[in-house]
Amino acid sequence: MNNLYILLNALGYRLINPGLSLTASLTSLCLLSIAPVAAEPLAVEALLKRGYLDDYHSNVVFGYRIVTETEKYGARYTGNRLRCSNCHLNAGRQPDALPLNVAGMYPKWRSKNGRRNGIGLRIRECFVYSLDGIMPPEDSPEVLAVAAYISYLSHGEVIGNAPPGRGVPTLPDTGYDPNPANGKAIYVARCSACHGEDGYGKAGAPPLWGMDSFNGGAGMADVHRAAGFIWANMPLGSERSLTHQDALDVSAYINMQIRPGDPRKSKLLKLFESISGLVE
Amino acid sequence: MRNLRLVSEILPWRPSLAGKLNLTTEAFAAIVGAILVIPQGITFAYLAGLPPEYGIYSSIFVTLFASLFGSSSMLGGPNTAVAILIGLSVAPFSGRGSPLYIDYVILLSLMVGLIQLLIWLGRGGKYFQYLSPAAVTGITVGVGIILILSSLDGILGLSPSGTLFFFEKLFVMLDSWEVLINPYSFTVGTVTVITGLIARRYIPRYSILIAMAAGYLAGLILMGLFTQVNTEIELLGHIPFQALPLSYPKMDLEYLLVGISMLPNAVTIALIGLAQSMVIVKRLRSETDQPINVDKEVFAQGIANTLGAFFSSFAGSGSFNRTAVNQSLGAKTPLAGILSAVVVFLLISIFGPLLSHMPMAVIAGTLMLVGTGMIKPQEIARLLSWTGELLVFVITLFSIVFLGLQTGLIIAITLSIIMFVLSASKLEIAIRQEKGAVQIRVEGHLFYASIDQLSGLLKHHRSESVVLDLSVVSYIDLSATEAIAKDLLKRDCSATSFVIVLTSQKMLEHFEQRLDGMPVQFIQHLSAQ
Repeated sequence: MNNLYILLNALGYRLINPGLSLTASLTSLCLLSIAPVAAEPLAVEALLKRGYLDDYHSNVVFGYRIVTETEKYGARYTGNRLRCSNCHLNAGRQPDALPLNVAGMYPKWRSKNGRRNGIGLRIRECFVYSLDGIMPPEDSPEVLAVAAYISYLSHGEVIGNAPPGRGVPTLPDTGYDPNPANGKAIYVARCSACHGEDGYGKAGAPPLWGMDSFNGGAGMADVHRAAGFIWANMPLGSERSLTHQDALDVSAYINMQIRPGDPRKSKLLKLFESISGLVE
Repeated sequence: MRNLRLVSEILPWRPSLAGKLNLTTEAFAAIVGAILVIPQGITFAYLAGLPPEYGIYSSIFVTLFASLFGSSSMLGGPNTAVAILIGLSVAPFSGRGSPLYIDYVILLSLMVGLIQLLIWLGRGGKYFQYLSPAAVTGITVGVGIILILSSLDGILGLSPSGTLFFFEKLFVMLDSWEVLINPYSFTVGTVTVITGLIARRYIPRYSILIAMAAGYLAGLILMGLFTQVNTEIELLGHIPFQALPLSYPKMDLEYLLVGISMLPNAVTIALIGLAQSMVIVKRLRSETDQPINVDKEVFAQGIANTLGAFFSSFAGSGSFNRTAVNQSLGAKTPLAGILSAVVVFLLISIFGPLLSHMPMAVIAGTLMLVGTGMIKPQEIARLLSWTGELLVFVITLFSIVFLGLQTGLIIAITLSIIMFVLSASKLEIAIRQEKGAVQIRVEGHLFYASIDQLSGLLKHHRSESVVLDLSVVSYIDLSATEAIAKDLLKRDCSATSFVIVLTSQKMLEHFEQRLDGMPVQFIQHLSAQ
């Protein structure tokens, strides 16, 4: 009922206004069927089917669309062919695959930029590094929408605690250095069917290297972290089938390849790279 | 007859309508108009809470349809006031920039267009003609100030604080400038504005273009030295531009419910959009000899907003600054607007990718240049000698800056109507003694508001013979006739005579009917007609 009242207010009606009785009762009849009333948040897929969404839920849906269809809804600030959901599997809802239910952990100090980061800055850095794009402003609709989506997914998590399966699993030390030569063999055997022998991706599978992939500043450009992700989530359908050492080797092979530069390091070169990439 | 006129207003513009067509002048004006509209479209999309590409679509399609169905060189397209109002109207229903928000904006634009078409069918265009030139100057200067103030956000690298009252905003900026202001954005914005001001002095035609180039370069240098991540210079970003961005307003029950609650806003936006367009049309009509049809312009605005909703465009109206530039470059026909839409399309398809690294501070800088260009000291100086006009100007300007655009425009229209009524109710009366009779010659409209002046005079001369010369009075209402009749009854008929001099047959019949049997004579001057 509370929701309904808010909805009606948003529509400009006042429930107490007797002059609007007919319209108001019609409105409430129509809205009863669509107002979100559950205490437990609905799955985003259920929100997608609704015709009417209030301010907050429309932002959540927008955030979901940015995460799953980045090339369409987040195109303004992205510079490659990746989607958020290429790494944040199942639209950020899969444990051990960088799940997005982490709103309760921010603000948080990160060594990456030596600053205390709010969730906004964290999202913006994803655009710069993993999506090799432009840093959006803190209050851009895209950042606000993704932040709304992240907090929506974080429902039920303990504030301040790491949710189970946060990030990617840290692989135990295998005792051997990563071996890219073995990595190449495994890549050809296990990965190239989807990601392509040249690593440029195929339909449904993202590019792993080349100028359309993440840049040198991305989290995935870290061999050990990428190895954890590969071991826990790849190949799709037969996860955790690689040994720890194989995952590390593949990760080393992938991260040996050419990819866009780290925007923090090669300043002028990076700028030239992005401008020339645009003109083509 | 009336239907025929409506049909002639629906037909699009064709080159045969213009007697002499100077193609190069129109094309050059179109190119400059296109360069001007791109930064404006992007910022106004921002003000309306939409992604930048929607500003581009509006710059193409609303401009195209407004010119195609219009009759003047007025350039339509995205507009400050309309964009701000769209943002305010849709914000309560959905998150800014989300797909649902965009659907609502398109629905609202369609409603605005349809309301304007209704106004066209009701022949409402003429009511916007009452805006006095002083009010128009006040509106122009006020919009200029609003543009300058809204450009400050982008130049200083602030997040848009459009909801703040403007001197509250200035206070916040001054109070905590060291935390708020982004020095890199500020540098880029300042370079843009200063280059533009210098270029305006020497090469005014290309000043905006030069300013944008200088700002873009400054941005590239700063980002090359310190990276975009560290400077946090806000960039325009990639514009996902489609050649044919077809859209349609969704029409299910929920949308209609939201539509109903947006209706008052739609009416306001429709009226304000039309008011601005009509001011521009009026000015064009007085300053040029274009064959302007006011009702056709109303139709053009309505159809442009209606069709725009099917091409991912938000509602717009005529643009003061772009029309002024268009006029100064010598464009005389709607062709300039049509070509300008084509040029925007070509520019974005060719240079669109380069725009992704355009700092928002540069775009804000061009807006500030446009805003300063709208404040013309010589126009304000011209008003100084007319107390009434100056008062209208000052009140309009004050209310636009302090009370907001909607209120300001309504006050401007009200003031103009008051000024008009005041001047209309004033009679010019000349009295001469001739051949033993008093000759009273009246100029002006004789109606309830102005009759007191005349009846006082008639009372004063009750004992003498009176010749009332109404030959140049074009309008007389019932209360004025009755006032004259009342005076006649009190008159000593045997000693004096009362003669009314008239020209029009209609007024003569009117008097004969009302003053039937009274001691009055009529003289009809046909020569004066």
